[in-house]
Amino acid sequence: MKAYLDNNATTMIAPEVLEEMMPFLTHRYGNPSSFHSFGGEVMKEVEKARSRVARLIGAEPEEVFFTSGGTESDNTALRGGCSINPLRSGLLVSMVEHPAVLNTAKKMMRDGTPVGFVPVGGDGLPDMAALAEMLVPETGLVSIMTANNETGTKFPLAEVAEIVHPSGVLLHTDAVQAPGKMELDVKAMNVDMLSLSAHKFHGPKGVGILYVRRGVDLPPFIVGGHQESGMRAGTYNVPGIVGMGKAAEMALEELSAVAGNMKAARDRLEEGILESCPGASVVARDSDRLPNTCTVLFKGVESEAVMTILDMEGICVSSGSACSTGEIAPSHVLTAMGIDPMTANTAIRFSLSRYTSGEEIDVLLDILPGIIEKLRRISPYA
Amino acid sequence: MWNYSKKLMEHFMNPRNSGQLPNPDGRSEVGSPQCGDAMTLDIEVDDDDRITDVRFMTFGCAGAIASASALTEIVKGKTLDEALSVTNEMVVEYLGGMPEEKFHCSVMGHEALEGAVRDFKRKRNTVRKHLEAMFRDLSWDSAGVLGGTPPGIAHVHPSRVLLEFPGDPGEGAVEAVSRELSGRVGRTVEVKVKR
Ligand SMILES: Cc1ncc(COP(=O)(O)O)c(C=O)c1O
Ligand code: FES
Repeated sequence: MKAYLDNNATTMIAPEVLEEMMPFLTHRYGNPSSFHSFGGEVMKEVEKARSRVARLIGAEPEEVFFTSGGTESDNTALRGGCSINPLRSGLLVSMVEHPAVLNTAKKMMRDGTPVGFVPVGGDGLPDMAALAEMLVPETGLVSIMTANNETGTKFPLAEVAEIVHPSGVLLHTDAVQAPGKMELDVKAMNVDMLSLSAHKFHGPKGVGILYVRRGVDLPPFIVGGHQESGMRAGTYNVPGIVGMGKAAEMALEELSAVAGNMKAARDRLEEGILESCPGASVVARDSDRLPNTCTVLFKGVESEAVMTILDMEGICVSSGSACSTGEIAPSHVLTAMGIDPMTANTAIRFSLSRYTSGEEIDVLLDILPGIIEKLRRISPYA
Repeated sequence: MWNYSKKLMEHFMNPRNSGQLPNPDGRSEVGSPQCGDAMTLDIEVDDDDRITDVRFMTFGCAGAIASASALTEIVKGKTLDEALSVTNEMVVEYLGGMPEEKFHCSVMGHEALEGAVRDFKRKRNTVRKHLEAMFRDLSWDSAGVLGGTPPGIAHVHPSRVLLEFPGDPGEGAVEAVSRELSGRVGRTVEVKVKR
């Protein structure tokens, strides 16, 4: 591999994270819930990790519950949040949420939950007027992501909270894409629940958290033993939790140091592409975006063809389309922003991390223009 | 990444017969409802209904580009009927297989070929219809050069016709027929004389 520019899909595990995890994959295998101190000592590490994650988002440790990742956290927040008050079981989500939220909402709708989908504008931001209008007395929960995984657009959560909270509605945010790329503070964002996933910020896969503000009476997520105060049963994923803790600490510590570099690298990549590829345009370029993400539309060139050649060259990027089943459905995010389905099929997402090197961007800028030119020559729409 | 064969990747990276013909005898534009991808296919056909040239342009994935390329290679030199009998499966086999989820990408090529042949036949029918009308009703300007006896129609092609005159075609007859026919069809149609 020559260039990994798909960090919104997943990131490399930081060496320091792995190092902290290793003892728990080897000799420190005790069960944190055990009576004996061989296990009990491990519990201290779990709690240390909880505190580190809490600090990342400005929460109290008791408000942080470990889960198996972003998807579980989102599922729990939506289903749990809508079941607190039977008179307020309604759910509103934005149309550009990750499938972990969107498909949960759709399933809940099929099962009888009143669900509304809040539209977004051409800038990718949720339509606040529409949101305010869609709030009804039966609405119990609103879920709006912190930053979009495809376009990088950041959403004004505090503003959303101002609309949502006065009518006693809970606010959840999927902040999976945020750590290490923007500041996170549950108080400033004024959210009641927040999802994170460790593998998006140089932690291990299969571990995440759901922040639940004290006072929100969420029902237990998974029933069994008494772990996580009885909220989420199941023996602790200790290596994962410890790794997430270290990753959270690093994300917080390094944010101010790396965000600027990441943005400079992203901007260089973006400008390089716009200069060298005719017909290229950046999605939501004028919006407030994560410093690591850019999605480019390459007029007349289908994204999967581009990715196939990039893959041969050892360059990892992604497209917004859900193509794993062979039916390329254009990205729901881009079409919700008013981009026509054919144009949406030309989108390529480049996402950097604090480990992305200048050479990786050079390699891309070296190879990409030729690929676009080649495919435009045989395109009926170029 | 899809599990593409070597041959498929080779066609994707070096597509044969890409582009468009300046004056195609048949052209089609088709899109795949599954994925929103699209392509154009142009054919040039000789007087024996044989495909002498074929060009494609594709907005689509590697599978779509490779199967369009393969299809053009297979049908070039075949008669229209032979070309139409080329199935999707044959294209896939020619490429050394294709992931099942990608079959719809090759379907697009087949539909484009059918469309181009249909366009060819529609154009040809239009020429034939006009020619027959001209010879049925000899009241058009300069119909007089035919001396009241229209020639027989030996062969019709979207851009040329072969006529069989009972004797020697009169002075300026060929030019007059071509001019009138081209005017009616809206495109230059050459007239040739069968000896
Ligand atoms: C915005 C967003 N939410 C949720 C998820 C799912 O997280 P996980 O992979 O931990 O289940 C992802 C990652 O794919 C994401 O980008
Ligand atoms: S996925 Fe659209 S042509 Fe292959």
